[in-house]
Amino acid sequence: MLPLPELTADERSRYEWQLWVRGFGEEGQRRLKAATVFVSRIGGVGGTVAMQLAAAGVGRLILAHAGDLRLNDLNRQLLMTTDGIGKPRIESAVRRLRELNPYVLVDAIGENVSAANAERLVGSADVVVSAAPLFEERLEMNRQAVRRGVPLVDCAMYELEGRLLTVLPGRTPCLSCLYPEKPPHWKREFPVFGAVASTVGSLAAMEVIKLAAGLGDPPKGRLLNFDLRDLTFTTITVDRRTDCAVCGSR
Amino acid sequence: MRLRVQYTAQLRTVVGRTEEEIEFPEGSNLAELLVHLASELRREAAPFLLTAGGELQPSLLVALNHGAVSSCNARAVLVNAGDVVTLLPPIAGG
Repeated sequence: MLPLPELTADERSRYEWQLWVRGFGEEGQRRLKAATVFVSRIGGVGGTVAMQLAAAGVGRLILAHAGDLRLNDLNRQLLMTTDGIGKPRIESAVRRLRELNPYVLVDAIGENVSAANAERLVGSADVVVSAAPLFEERLEMNRQAVRRGVPLVDCAMYELEGRLLTVLPGRTPCLSCLYPEKPPHWKREFPVFGAVASTVGSLAAMEVIKLAAGLGDPPKGRLLNFDLRDLTFTTITVDRRTDCAVCGSR
Repeated sequence: MRLRVQYTAQLRTVVGRTEEEIEFPEGSNLAELLVHLASELRREAAPFLLTAGGELQPSLLVALNHGAVSSCNARAVLVNAGDVVTLLPPIAGG
């Protein structure tokens, strides 16, 4: 294992408030600096994840998202700006993240996750975050994360509700244990507030920070389900399925 | 017996309510409850619960008292008075 990178004086100052967190400290920050995190899609959820991870000082972010910004993305995609409409989302994301924290290396991929690139992208990271709206991408991310033994944080939202699942391959249920096949009724566009997307994204970012820095406990076998309509947060215990096509034999 | 059914996400939108108490026969299993709901709720809700062939919808996450029960085990799990059944159709990011 490579030695953890040192922090510069500027980094110590930048991250000072989180260096005070019990159980984190300078070693936790150095672990973050050494970490590579892959975020699939940088829309409302993934964009918040990327922003929080950049602010926290994750060393390298790999971001994948195809397509150009549309006006109706702007209620939730906080890495984007109005003058970016019609331009690639990934360009705006990289610019904003570099403005936020120039110490973070950002690898921008202008394509979505697919069977053709998932293995390479997931295999390049220490932790991966799935924030795509399509189940083909989410299930492919899950498949590759389990195959490569890379922790996965899966984020989802609808209206005022959100869900979060942390997959520790071989130790906890994977996404396919919950949803063994692509759901037939999911629609690409759905009702949601940007504040819900940011809530899910911030929760996911904290899980990534915990995993990368060895802080706290990941929610093993617990799906977080929250409803901001009445501010209810519940967890559903989930078991691994022995017949799971993805993780059942691992 | 009476038990509570909670609807989330798209199913909540289709059903038009967050939760309800229902009367259901003692000794019933979870699969029977889901089939019953598919017939009682609005027609648009049924595909979230059952496949076109009438099988339990594999992509619906069902929790009994906050513990997930896979569709293949639903016939073996009895429901009891006071139970809380939560129906969680899959959702995603964006």
